[in-house]
Amino acid sequence: MPELPELNPVIHGKLRLALLSLLSGIEEAEFTWLRSKTGSTDGNLGAQLAKLEEAGYVTVEKKFVQRKPQTLYRMTEAGRTAFIEYVQALKQLLGEAIGD
Amino acid sequence: MTANAEELDLKDRLSLIETMIAEGRRTTENYGWTFVLWGLAYCVAIFLDNVLHFQLAWQVTMTIAALLTAIPFWGKKCSHPPTTTARALGALWFGVGISMFIVLFSLGYSGRMSLHIFVAVICGMLGAVNASSSIILKWKLQFACALVWWATTIYACFGSGHYLMLVFAAATFLCQIVFGVYLMIREARARRQGANHA
Repeated sequence: MPELPELNPVIHGKLRLALLSLLSGIEEAEFTWLRSKTGSTDGNLGAQLAKLEEAGYVTVEKKFVQRKPQTLYRMTEAGRTAFIEYVQALKQLLGEAIGD
Repeated sequence: MTANAEELDLKDRLSLIETMIAEGRRTTENYGWTFVLWGLAYCVAIFLDNVLHFQLAWQVTMTIAALLTAIPFWGKKCSHPPTTTARALGALWFGVGISMFIVLFSLGYSGRMSLHIFVAVICGMLGAVNASSSIILKWKLQFACALVWWATTIYACFGSGHYLMLVFAAATFLCQIVFGVYLMIREARARRQGANHA
């Protein structure tokens, strides 16, 4: 019997998974845009993004646009690789579950 | 957790990934009107040039069309983050637009412009940009537009000058105005669906 893959615990959290999924299709996103798409609170979103940043899956850039602060998040190559591996592992697990 | 509940949880996560990727890629920008605007600009220029014999018909209409295209985007903060596809398409249209302006204005002012060269250059470039865009978007209808532009280019090179403006006007009507209106309808439908999902 083939060994079942383990799901990356950093990505497995629902909000972190939603954030990486959103960031996978775009070049960069503002904090406010991510908040509106996920419907989460500022505190929770900030904490989850910090965890992703700590893991090296996203980078953050803070700047001022027309004197207003703007926080931009981008997915890193490591983040993309980890996300792809997570999706593959998830599909493999689901394949196993359906096959049972 | 039972095996069944675990499977449901995994399916839920896969569905979350699909929904969020689609949400990230969903564009809220509208471009159909630019096709219609430029189609109308070509028609106005053809009318001013051929019927009213206004010498600067093309220069004036093209400049006004360029300004009308740029004004809505000027200083506007995009509500949606950029996707790689959107940036690729923007770069494509921007590059071809600038090339068309440089070539046509230079030919016009140097006095080396002829009707055949003019239509061949415009249609050839529009064929190229529509074909590239259709390949990026995997959109057969836009590739059909590219074929119409290329066919008009071939006609401009080999065909009679008598019907050239008529053929160019027909291509403009089909590939700019009809295609643009169809695009606007699609965008309006997508906006309505987006509002329903929100």
